[in-house]
Amino acid sequence: MATTKRAKRRKEQSEYFFDYSLLFIVLFLLGFGLIMIYSASSYAAFEEFGDAAHYLKRQAIASVLGLIAMIVVANVPYHFWEKFALLGYLVSAVLIVLVLSPLGVESHKARRWIAIPGTGFNIQPAEVAKLCMILFLAVLVCKMGKSIRTMKGFIFMVLAPLPIAGMIYLITDNLSSAIIVMGISVLMVFVASPDYKKFIVLALFVVAVAALLIYLITSTDLIGGFRSGRILAWLDPESDAQDKGFQTLQALYAIGSGGIWGKGLGQSMQKLSFLPEAQNDMIFSIICEELGLFGAVAIIVMFVLLIWRMMIIANNAPDLFGAMLVVGVIGHIAIQAILNIAVVTNTIPNTGISLPFISYGGSSVIFLLIEIGLVLSVAKRIQLKEL
Amino acid sequence: MLTSNNKIFHRKKIITLFFLLSFLFLFLLGRLIYLMVWRADHYAELATALHERERSIKAARGRILDRNGTVLADNKTVCTISVIYNQMEDREQVIQVLCKELDLSEEYVRKRVEKYSSMERIKSNVEKAVGDKIREYDLPGVKVDEDYKRYYPYGELASKVLGFTGGDNQGIIGLEVVYEEYLKGEPGQILTVTDAKGIEVDEAGERRKEPVAGNDLYISLDRNIQTYATQLAKQAMATKEAEGVSIIVMNPKDGEVYAMVNVPEFDLNNPYEIPDWYADAMELDVTTLSAEAKQDALNRVWRNGCINDTYEPGSTFKIITAAAGLEEGVVAPNHNFSCPGYIVVDDRKIRCHKVGGHGAEDFVHATMNSCNPVFITVGLRLGVDNYYKYFEQFGLKTKTGIDLPGEAGTIMHKKEDMGNVELATVSFGQSFQITPMQLLTTASSIVNGGNRITPHFGVQTVDEAGNIQKFNYPVTEGIVSEETSATMRSILEMVVSEGGGINGKVEGFRVGGKTATSQTLPRGTGRYIASFVGFAPADDPQVIAIAIINHPKGVYYGGQIAAPIVRQLFENILPYLGIKEYNQYE
Repeated sequence: MATTKRAKRRKEQSEYFFDYSLLFIVLFLLGFGLIMIYSASSYAAFEEFGDAAHYLKRQAIASVLGLIAMIVVANVPYHFWEKFALLGYLVSAVLIVLVLSPLGVESHKARRWIAIPGTGFNIQPAEVAKLCMILFLAVLVCKMGKSIRTMKGFIFMVLAPLPIAGMIYLITDNLSSAIIVMGISVLMVFVASPDYKKFIVLALFVVAVAALLIYLITSTDLIGGFRSGRILAWLDPESDAQDKGFQTLQALYAIGSGGIWGKGLGQSMQKLSFLPEAQNDMIFSIICEELGLFGAVAIIVMFVLLIWRMMIIANNAPDLFGAMLVVGVIGHIAIQAILNIAVVTNTIPNTGISLPFISYGGSSVIFLLIEIGLVLSVAKRIQLKEL
Repeated sequence: MLTSNNKIFHRKKIITLFFLLSFLFLFLLGRLIYLMVWRADHYAELATALHERERSIKAARGRILDRNGTVLADNKTVCTISVIYNQMEDREQVIQVLCKELDLSEEYVRKRVEKYSSMERIKSNVEKAVGDKIREYDLPGVKVDEDYKRYYPYGELASKVLGFTGGDNQGIIGLEVVYEEYLKGEPGQILTVTDAKGIEVDEAGERRKEPVAGNDLYISLDRNIQTYATQLAKQAMATKEAEGVSIIVMNPKDGEVYAMVNVPEFDLNNPYEIPDWYADAMELDVTTLSAEAKQDALNRVWRNGCINDTYEPGSTFKIITAAAGLEEGVVAPNHNFSCPGYIVVDDRKIRCHKVGGHGAEDFVHATMNSCNPVFITVGLRLGVDNYYKYFEQFGLKTKTGIDLPGEAGTIMHKKEDMGNVELATVSFGQSFQITPMQLLTTASSIVNGGNRITPHFGVQTVDEAGNIQKFNYPVTEGIVSEETSATMRSILEMVVSEGGGINGKVEGFRVGGKTATSQTLPRGTGRYIASFVGFAPADDPQVIAIAIINHPKGVYYGGQIAAPIVRQLFENILPYLGIKEYNQYE
């Protein structure tokens, strides 16, 4: 009696699944991000613009736009996007090239943005490219079917994103975004292919190349330039405190001085212009300083929960296309979060990667929310009967 | 589209992916725990050092007191005026006020006020009254910090001994330098939290580290003796139109210096002003002097002739030759000599100061007459090896070790370069150079029973809590025998009672001594140094003094112009030091 009644009620509510947990985690991160942006940037914003909430307002507008886009995307059946896969690939290529046109905007000594005429907002083509790449590869995996298991298929899958990643690196001089695009691709291929061996070999190869590069930079003068300086600064930031190691060291000061319980929200000293652009890539260090290890653990736990929810969705996706879309989003968010925290804690050399949902950056948050919209759209297709 | 077979391996892979990513997060968590727990103190310390701007609080410098507790060097409160760029509101007003109150040029103040720095010092050592006045304007960004400035209550007194301090209260010359470690104390700090641009963060407040005052230094100098000796020196300098007069008064038993005068002295409260006497003597126009020339002139003004300069001691050095001869047994007081007015050494004829010669005389009378040929004879009897041995044994080759900076070393022939002629000239105090302090120390050691003492000023330091730290000085015993020492005392007493030092005689006291008149190099310019070494009581010396007159005009004999200075000095200080007259012993 009772069970049929409950089943009946459930059927009345909805036949399909809506992942509220995922939504709440995202909203939490978004809200937390806004608070931290305000805390980290208000001092510098007041100095520069006379408005302590300058960055907060801009980020809030981007978040609202992103949420609207997310709701729209969530309510569109995701197969609708399938036909735009190749178009998206080409559009991202064009947008990257547009950076070189008069529409391109230079900021922080790098030309990585294009202006959207008439709005006063800028957009970073690399963010568009990440989303388009997820869509493109998801479609490609489905199209290739079983041929992905062959060596040829594997190589084709790995090479497919290379042109875009190469353009991001060469045209916008943005190594981190190029790495993320490649990373997303590799993770998607990893899931799509039943093989393990190839990936272990690939991973070992990457590690070996990195180790060789570090060896060459530290013990010989063969390789110079801006990136090798960053690697030297990474190995010993305190010896290079005024130059390349400056930002890293300031971040370490912030993290270290936070201790277990932190100095309290708003009490960061490092944000008082010691740590440049505290609201951007280095925001995690301000979180550590103000909220301590406790706050840092909370953020990491939220990201792990987010990935766990998405894993559940991917595993229950009604088809391979949906699953691959979700895997792409997992890859995107996880890689960025991991690399960001690794940079801030000086675990890897400094490279500009923002913390998803939390760092300041309009393009980034809008496109991340669109991706969450896709995941929610996939989740909606999960029939509860199947669960 | 998903076949169930496909689905299984996809799910497996997705779960693998999840665990892989979770593992990476876990690894980063470990890294964070390391940074925020194990390294927290390290980084927190570095961060605090970065965030705090420190303003130091000067420690009160230890005072310098004489043997009776009279303060010779003290501190007074003065102010340091600085500006903080980011806190100033009306820069023009700040410039105007500071120019007016501090009497500085607008250009100077403007440069500092408009300099973009966290804190810029405008002027230190500002009188407290002026500092208070500036504080009353209540200008934002203008800081008035109180600190201490050295103050010397007696102005010129013992200027070249005490020395003075610089802008940061650090010793520049004299005892102020030598006892810097004891006197300076530990500066305190006011730590203010600021942002990267140096703006104070109000809520954070200040941290204070209190300064530790320096230790007081008690010295052996006696202000009364020093004052009286200074008067005598000034008097002699004026009447003899001399270039300078130096007097040292010392306890020959332990080396405590009671007075050290080098007139003309300079004003310790204005040490960087070139005194008129120097400008006049050198015909300098002080207003047009270059910075380098000014510093050079000041260095000359600050020189302590008693220890920084050497001279040919002349006949006073016969004390050393006599002691060496007696100790070695090559001469005895009753040995007879004959002085024809000259002596031939190798191919050189060396004259006695008495052209006709002193005729027949014993060694005691030869000393009373200060007869050169007799002392040359004694020197030649000793020979180069022995003479050199005693020269070193008496400590003449090494510095006295007095606690003043820049003591000059002895300029002496190398032993291998010494022939009979050199030996002959050294025997009566010529052709080599020592400092006045060296001569007095060696003379003390010969008459005090043969103990080479270390002359010194520093007696003890006392910290804020009253803890006393006494200084010990090395003594080398037995440089001559007690017997030789006693013989020397009686011969030198004869010199004063009946010989060339008769003007050093003090009614009622037994005084020993020796005069000297030496021509300065180059010879034949008519420039002389007249000196006298005297000690009392002659049988048990408790005070020894030397008076040196540089380049006197008119009469230049040590016995006639230097001995009376020591006589007047002894007439006053012997009773003052509680030394009884011999007719009081009955």
